[in-house]
Amino acid sequence: MNASRFFKNPIALSGSIIVAFYLVTILVSFVWLPFDPVAMDMERLLDPPSFETGHLLGTDDFGRDILSRIMKGTAVSLIISLGATALGAVIGTLMGIWAGFLGGRWDHWLMRVADVLFSFPSLLLAIFVMAILGEQTYNVVIAIGIVYIPQFARISRGAILSLKNQEFVRAAFSNGADKTYVLFRHLLPNILVPLIVQVSLALSVAILLESALSFLGLGIQPPDPSWGNMLSGARKLMMIAPWTAIYPGLAIVFLVLGFNLLGDGLRDVLDPRLRNAR
Amino acid sequence: MKRFMFPVVLALLLAIPTTTAFSADKILTIGVDQEAIGLDPNIVTAFSSHRRVDLLYNKLVRVDDKLSIVPDLALSWENPDNLTYVFKLRKGVKFHNGREMVAADVVYSLNRVLDPKTASPGRSYLATATAIEALDAYTVKIVLSGPLPSLLEGLASNNLAIVPQEVVEKEGNLQKVAVGTGPFMLQEWLPDNSMTLVKNPNYFEKGNPSLDKVIFRVIPEQASLYAGVKSGELDMATISQGAIILQALKDNTITVMRKPSINLRTFGFNNTRKPFDDVRVRQALALALDRTEIIKAAEFNMGQASGPLPVAVKLWAKDPASLPFARPDLAKAKKLLADAGLPNGFTFSIVTASSYEGGLDVAQVIQNQLAKIGVKVELDVVEWGVYIDRWVKRDFDAMVEIRGGSSDPDRFLYRTLHSTGGVNNFLFKDSDVDKLLDQGRSLTKVADRKPVYDKLQVMLTEKAPVIFLYSPMENQIMSKKVTGFKQVGNGSIYYLAETKISN
Amino acid sequence: MGRYIVRRLLSLIPVLLGVSIIVFFLVRLIPGSALQMYLGTQVETTPEQMVELKRLFGEDQPVPVLYVEWLGRILVGDFGHSLRTGRAVLPDLLSRLPLSLELTLMALALALVIGIPLGVLSSLRQKPLTDITIRVVGLLGLSLPQFWLAALMVLGFSGFRGWIPMGNFVSLWADPLKNLQMLFLPSLAIGIGLAAVIMRYTRNSMLEVLQSDYIRTAKAKGLKRWVVIGRHALRNAILPVITVAGFNVGYLLGGAIVIEEVFALPGMGRLALYAIYQRDYPVIQAIVLLIAALFVLVNLITDLIYATVDPRIRLDEKGR
Repeated sequence: MNASRFFKNPIALSGSIIVAFYLVTILVSFVWLPFDPVAMDMERLLDPPSFETGHLLGTDDFGRDILSRIMKGTAVSLIISLGATALGAVIGTLMGIWAGFLGGRWDHWLMRVADVLFSFPSLLLAIFVMAILGEQTYNVVIAIGIVYIPQFARISRGAILSLKNQEFVRAAFSNGADKTYVLFRHLLPNILVPLIVQVSLALSVAILLESALSFLGLGIQPPDPSWGNMLSGARKLMMIAPWTAIYPGLAIVFLVLGFNLLGDGLRDVLDPRLRNAR
Repeated sequence: MKRFMFPVVLALLLAIPTTTAFSADKILTIGVDQEAIGLDPNIVTAFSSHRRVDLLYNKLVRVDDKLSIVPDLALSWENPDNLTYVFKLRKGVKFHNGREMVAADVVYSLNRVLDPKTASPGRSYLATATAIEALDAYTVKIVLSGPLPSLLEGLASNNLAIVPQEVVEKEGNLQKVAVGTGPFMLQEWLPDNSMTLVKNPNYFEKGNPSLDKVIFRVIPEQASLYAGVKSGELDMATISQGAIILQALKDNTITVMRKPSINLRTFGFNNTRKPFDDVRVRQALALALDRTEIIKAAEFNMGQASGPLPVAVKLWAKDPASLPFARPDLAKAKKLLADAGLPNGFTFSIVTASSYEGGLDVAQVIQNQLAKIGVKVELDVVEWGVYIDRWVKRDFDAMVEIRGGSSDPDRFLYRTLHSTGGVNNFLFKDSDVDKLLDQGRSLTKVADRKPVYDKLQVMLTEKAPVIFLYSPMENQIMSKKVTGFKQVGNGSIYYLAETKISN
Repeated sequence: MGRYIVRRLLSLIPVLLGVSIIVFFLVRLIPGSALQMYLGTQVETTPEQMVELKRLFGEDQPVPVLYVEWLGRILVGDFGHSLRTGRAVLPDLLSRLPLSLELTLMALALALVIGIPLGVLSSLRQKPLTDITIRVVGLLGLSLPQFWLAALMVLGFSGFRGWIPMGNFVSLWADPLKNLQMLFLPSLAIGIGLAAVIMRYTRNSMLEVLQSDYIRTAKAKGLKRWVVIGRHALRNAILPVITVAGFNVGYLLGGAIVIEEVFALPGMGRLALYAIYQRDYPVIQAIVLLIAALFVLVNLITDLIYATVDPRIRLDEKGR
């Protein structure tokens, strides 16, 4: 990838800055937090944001510092987002490549499996998986990852199929090239673009899905703070203490925005057709 | 396909707004956060269903706003000995279909509850009943094989409401239709949206109900319920979130009614698992808990500390402050742990759910408080259905629960803590406790029973198989137009029959 | 065309069969059962009662047997009865379908109305700043957690009567105005995210089309700019947008769960949610099957629209 072109793209640049900001937050949170994110303070229940108390974003209904909890929750959200995307992308892409490359019966059955998973409503599927496996952090990763499998399978299969019929691949085959060689030399590099874009989308959707699961009471569980469970806990407090809901919500919005900008920017930079349009 | 279209069309027709009704009608719109699951009084278990049954059916007796037993369909009763009860029925009471309710209906309904085929959750209320007979059209006799001092309290349960035989036989059950004797009649039900009840013009209490219509609206968000009452779209709403009540209390355009309920928030142990089989460990945990803090953080102060009997039941409950371990004592707690061979504390997990009943907020405060005596708590937060599953299988170290209390001590404590109790999921077995519970059950007069249950409350607190924390408040908010409503304490909204609304 | 449709409809069968197997066995893997939920933590039962209850709740037979029986009844149109309410499943479901469809279509309409013009505007990139602003705003829309937005809407609009449903939802037929007013905010909460997706695809697709030879030719011929854009470019660029929109209709049908819950709308998503909470197997099964069938059907319709808009595409060659 052309790095200078990437950083000249304002969309990609602003996306990277946002994501970098969150990464720095995680590093900082390992060594320093304004308050202990799980310590309760019965004298400071639902304190509004204030400089004097040091609770810059206020406290929740247990007197816990919201800023510290958001900072601590950043790592949790990113782990889920990366983990689920990696899981879905690896399994899905392998399925898709396998199906698209081998064709025939394999293709037929693998794609039927993907179709079935795909036509299953995704939030419901995630709810099912969570309810069966139990509410642990790694199960959230699995639940969201499973939702992603058919998406990656379809995209990679489609890309492989369209490539298979292109001149340079046909030429490679007719020159007697080995199947594996063609796969790694010609096919894989060329399906990376759609995959990378899908990955950036998946990263952002995972965070939204985690928060939706938490809202329904199935996400990461307290006292570990996640943005999702902070929001779900704040649901009843919105009227009397809006800061408990607004700030964790904004934390989600900006990280998701960062991933989306990054993805869009990457597409601009990587997709040759869009690039030429400039 | 045609046969499926009919209900759709019907539902659409029924969806015509009721705002076209005559404005002179006195309509009360009440917002609730859960839809009723069914309406058959002998079968339903869901709290939301009971709240509809409150208005549609009557029982032989009912519980009034002072939690005393008062006449309902029975005008009077006597028990010549503690195995026989004779009830004299009201005359001229009509079911919603116009037929008179007579002794045969009582016999039918109670036998329906006893029949295993009905699978009624109210069966245990009649546990020792051997015969239910009609002596004449207005007299019913219940014969018991053993004393059952909680019988009257049981008869006041919605699950023992009197239903008309012919309707049950025609419909199979009463889950979707309602033909009772109650102050209101079912007019229309749009699931997950609204239910409209209209006044029963033949209701036996003269002058009641005053309302022409009661409309239930299902709104899951507590904040929306509050906003609805504030904007005038709702006249009344049942609120469970302390945070919302706190907000409503600051608002002088809204009436807030609060009363300690007869439910109890409990923190119970699996008494067969180590180290909870050691009474000193349980006592140490009891001494480490600060009820005031728990009520403050988890309920926004909308609760009242309570012992083994709900504090609202004044006749029986001892003052919680007079019971052992009422106040935290960390030094003593640590000493007890050391005596039990756990000077460095231990680790266990609490099964909890994020729904209100599952008590996640309470569990988080407990976790925080127990850390102070070196006990590490892991929260096992599960979805509500999984929570019930763990409860049924007794698969937990400890659990935070809401226990539905009762105005009768035998009813509540026997089933909960006797070694043979039906909902003793603490697996608590103690011969001293069993002895007192059996003794209490054999007595029928309050004066005889009182000393037994006083002793029992102290003993249970000391043995601490389960720690009774507090009774949550029962909260109703309403507009100033609404007058005459009274809270019972068991969640019942029967007093809508006496409620008035001004336009 | 006709043969194609028949073949596509036939391919529905294995997919639905697969979905039915997964949902049937998966829901039974979730700990807890409808019977346990019914009894809760307060009820005592006798052994004889339990036998009867197990029979009533269909727990007295092995799961594969139940599956075969269930499948057999579905073929004759009987989806069974809810374990929770005892009501027949299908009429209950069909009475909620109109609301869910309306919500989905309104959200889609809002998304198209917002997304397409913004996407086109952004693709023309007359001024880089306009382009970037539109894209960032669009992506911001995509980044909002639906329920958070919905909850904020409920909070913000709770003082205004009529905008937030209060258990007084009315059907489109009964009172169109009130109905549309009540569905506006929920549709917007769903539609904003979709608008961003539509915008993205419109923009990318427009960029591709605008540099194609025939648009260049059209420009060279001296056709007016907006004629080129409107009549030629947009018409071709709209195809992938249609696919994405169609794709999302199916997704939205099942995905409105959270919105229906926050806005107290008696739709299918909420029915599904409570059915899962209560382990009401027959209801969950029917809803998942219905949504899956709709999903596949909508995709088929999308492909047909695709073919109608662009006759160059021959359906059989789409490599499905």
